[in-house]
Formats: sequence, C-alpha cells, structure tokens
Amino acid sequence: MSLEAGEIEQKYGIPVVAAAGSNVVSFGIGANATYNTGMPIRYVGVPFPFSGQPRSVLKGYIEGKDTVSGKPMMPAIVDGLTQPLTDQEKMSGIPPEAAPEPRLLLADTEDNLQRLFKDRGWTDYNPVILPTQERVAAMLKGTSHKPDEIVKSAAGTFGARRPFTVEKIAVLAVMAGAKPEYFPVILALASMVPYQDSTTSIAQMIVVNGPIRKEIGMNSGLGALGPDNEANSVIGRAMTLIHKVIQGYQEGVTGFASLSNPLRYDNLCIAENEEALPEGWLPLHIQMGHKPTDSIVTIFTGWNFINSTGWVEQHYAPQMLIRDYMASLSGMSATLIMDPSVADLLNDVQGFKTKAMLGEWLSQNVEKTAASYWGNSIVSSMIGPLATQGLEPYATWKKAQGETLIKPFSNPKSIHAVVVGGKTASVWFATDFTPEKGASIDAWR
Amino acid sequence: MDRRKMLALLGASPALLAGSPSYARTAPASAPDTGASVVMDRMITALNPAITPQLATRIPLAPRLDRLDGKTIYLVDTDWGGMGQNDGILDEMQAWFAEHMPAVKTIIKVKKGNFVTDDPALWKEIAEAKGDGVVLGVAG
Repeated sequence: MSLEAGEIEQKYGIPVVAAAGSNVVSFGIGANATYNTGMPIRYVGVPFPFSGQPRSVLKGYIEGKDTVSGKPMMPAIVDGLTQPLTDQEKMSGIPPEAAPEPRLLLADTEDNLQRLFKDRGWTDYNPVILPTQERVAAMLKGTSHKPDEIVKSAAGTFGARRPFTVEKIAVLAVMAGAKPEYFPVILALASMVPYQDSTTSIAQMIVVNGPIRKEIGMNSGLGALGPDNEANSVIGRAMTLIHKVIQGYQEGVTGFASLSNPLRYDNLCIAENEEALPEGWLPLHIQMGHKPTDSIVTIFTGWNFINSTGWVEQHYAPQMLIRDYMASLSGMSATLIMDPSVADLLNDVQGFKTKAMLGEWLSQNVEKTAASYWGNSIVSSMIGPLATQGLEPYATWKKAQGETLIKPFSNPKSIHAVVVGGKTASVWFATDFTPEKGASIDAWR
Repeated sequence: MDRRKMLALLGASPALLAGSPSYARTAPASAPDTGASVVMDRMITALNPAITPQLATRIPLAPRLDRLDGKTIYLVDTDWGGMGQNDGILDEMQAWFAEHMPAVKTIIKVKKGNFVTDDPALWKEIAEAKGDGVVLGVAG
C-alpha cells in the first residue's frame, strides 16, 4: 500500500492518505518507510476486521476515530490531505548510514550471551549453540565460498536491502546446531530469502532432493516428518533463524501473523525418499528439470496440512480419500506428502503410473461448491480479480450459484506429490503447499 | 572502575549493551583467539549474527492541498480481500463527504489486479483527470 501511495505522490505530485488496519499502518510508517520506500506516507488507522462486517459497523468505523491519531476518522483524512508537510516529510536524499553491526560481540558468559541472543530476537527461543570464532571457522569449511562473499542483498521483506555474507549464514548455521556438511544446503536456503509472510498462518516446507540427502544423513524414511533426525531438524531450524535474523522478521514490527504457524519452528524439512518411489514416479527435482545427480532444495509455501489420520483401507481407494480431503484446500495448488506404501498402492493397484497421472485424476475429481471456493480470502484476493477480468474458468465460477460444484484444481500441474516415509503405515498428508523454483545446493558446496 | 566490572556489580551483562551499536562498536576489532574462544574465566567471544540493513533513500511527500472545497478526491479501492470487500467503507467515506463537505467531489475507483499488484494506469488516469487527492483504502 505504501508503494502505491508513494508512486502516486512521487510521480504525479498528488497527496495521498492511506487507510488501513494497525498492522499495515505500523509497517508502513515504520520499517517499510525506513528501509523500503523512504516515504513517511500519511495513514489513518481503521479498526479491524472490516471484511464481513455489516454496513452499520463500517459506518461506525467512519464516524469513529482514526486509530493512529485518535482524531475522528474523516477529519483525520481531511487533515492528511491538507495539513502542511512536516520537516521530516520534506526530507530527501540518502540518509546517514546506519550504525554498522560489529562483527564480534563483547565477551560475556554463556548465560548472558544466550539471554542477549533471545532479547535481540535472533533465536526461536530455544537455546542456541553460541557462534564462537572457531565454530564459525569450522562451519565455513563446509563450503568453498569465501566468508565475505555477499549471498544476497535484497533479503528483507518486500526486497528491503539487507545484504548478508556467507559468514553470517555460517553464524546462523552454528546457532542452529548444524554440521559443516549441512552448510551448502543452508546457504542454498539463504539464497532464496525473503520467504513469504502474511498476516495469515502461512508457512514453508523444505524438500531436499539428490545425492546430498544421503551424504549428510537426512532422513527420508521412518519418522521423516518428526523430530527424529539431526540433519532434518537442524536445517529446518536454520531456515527459521535466517527468516528472523537475515530477513529481519519481527512479529509486530515487520510481520504481523495473527496466529502464525507451528510449522515455522522447523519448516517441515524433509528429503524425498527417491529410492522408494515406484517405477515411473520421478523425484521432485527431476520433475522440475534437474538431473538425478543434482542436489536441489525446494521451498514450498502454503497454509494447509491435513493428516490422513489412519491408513489406507481396502474398501476405499487411497485416491478417493485424498480427493475428499483435498476439497478442503483452496484449489490454487496442492502437494501430497505420502508414504511410499501409498505411492505403491496408487501405482500398483490403482494404475497411477506417474505422479502426473495422479494429478490429472485429482484435477478432474476434486469438487467443492463455488461458495466455499470464493469463501477463501486468499482465493478471492488472488483469483477474484482474474475472474473480474473475464479469465476462464474463474469468470464462470464467479457467476455460478453458491451450491454449484466446481473443480477447483483446474490445472493438474498445480498438484504435486512428494514421497517420504518408512512404510509402517499407508498414511499421507494433503497440503496446499506450492513449490518455488528450487535452488542448487551444489552451487554452494 | 572498569565498565564491565561496574556493570557486573549492577547485575547487568556487558554483552546486553551490545544491543546498542554505539556501545557494541567499542568492542575490540578482534578478540584474543585462544583456540577455545574462552577469554578469561568462562567469558566467551561470539560472532554477531545481526546484519546492517541499508536505509532507503528519502523521498519527500507531495505538497498538501490548501483546502478540499472544490477539489476532486479519488477514493481508491485496493480490493484487499478481493470480491469487493472494501466497497462498504469507501461508500461510507463518500457519503460522509457528501453530507459534511458537499463542495468536495469524490470518485470511487477500484484498482485492477489483486491487492499486492500495482495499477499504474489508474494513477495516470487520476492524474490526467486532474484528481487533487487520493484516499487509498483499505488493507489489513
């Protein structure tokens, strides 16, 4: 919102007042103005929620107070358009450089440093391994890249410039408890910041493919999604620290996730069980155009993570129950995380000879009502405008009666499958996670 | 008295003050490396995880209007939430202007795309139509 307001003000010289909830206001006049736009956009604060409220409540908001200034709302808007600019609002040019962070912290005790790291928001509030010079030096042996190499500059939310080096990631890798051999994976993850944030309960999932899985001892078998493997746990935790320290995510300052998501503790870090895939089912990275010998890490982003609860029953084919559960998803994308035994049943008994065939079948068979589809705010926000512009099938779905059944996964390529697990139960998860382009781990060796 | 000892007597950690860059900068450029990073009586030297963000170039806001009477104000719906979720609030704003400041002309426009996409064509349209001000709303 600040970017748009800034564009109108800067390019056309038209004064703007932006009206938003307290989170947007806080970010807009705080971190976003300081690090992104450079413009202290004038905001008024609107009480939340406004979506779904009756008109009488909205009228009350307009007749009530601006939550920023405490003045009556509409006079505050008038003031925002007419009150002369302050000295701060007239400032231009490059500001004085921020005080640089020192490379070393002052020497202190273990307890005090642990406290400092928590107080500065550098941890997930579990104890960390303190990044001493020799530990960081040992971590740096896990890559051929130089410590002072810039990994990325536009690392902050909305691309704010937060340049960081290989050494900074080594520091975080130590803190997370990583071994040097995990470091290329963690660097590849770091190369993909910023990670998506939202006021909703968005989360990420990490999927590792290729030879590195075995080289570093990642678990793609029994208990793969649990806290039962060092590499999976630690790499996932490292991503959380990268999100907080490198991207600069601070709840209430640069991020405002109302409930957030427990998956953010380790970002569902898994390695695909490529060896257990049925013949014809390709590993994720090969599906995405990489070679079998490439080691690739893929970040998925999504919200839903629905457990199959029990195992596959003889009297109801697995794709049927998967179909039923997928009706709860938004319809924009899906990723099935399934035990190899489920993949075997789907392949051997149900005839799905590839992951793509399963995606095609689910695309044709998952149904939900139009009302439920549009009732998801992510769908209405992102797909609604496409429907308004006449893009099919969304335009037709928008016109449909609420109880009309639609097939929300109109694009079978938006349905993915990752096979992982230990074959002790034919279980699976239906998620709405969407993969981004994977990053090469080999590039960071 | 040595500052570290003084802070210790007060029950405060010297490293806690490293949160202030001005104090943290007073740390030596490199601590003695004993091989174990244990510097005197269980004191540990750790690397600082924090990075230095770069401040954005400051851009001044557009000059404000001397008054709104006789002006045209665009009320732009960002379509946050999609499907016309903001209609009600902007309609109420328009009604307020009509009642309390009838000399102000208001025009409601809906931004194209979704709430995170830009709509430069609309900003150009507003400028070419000699819009005097914009209220952009709402988002949460």
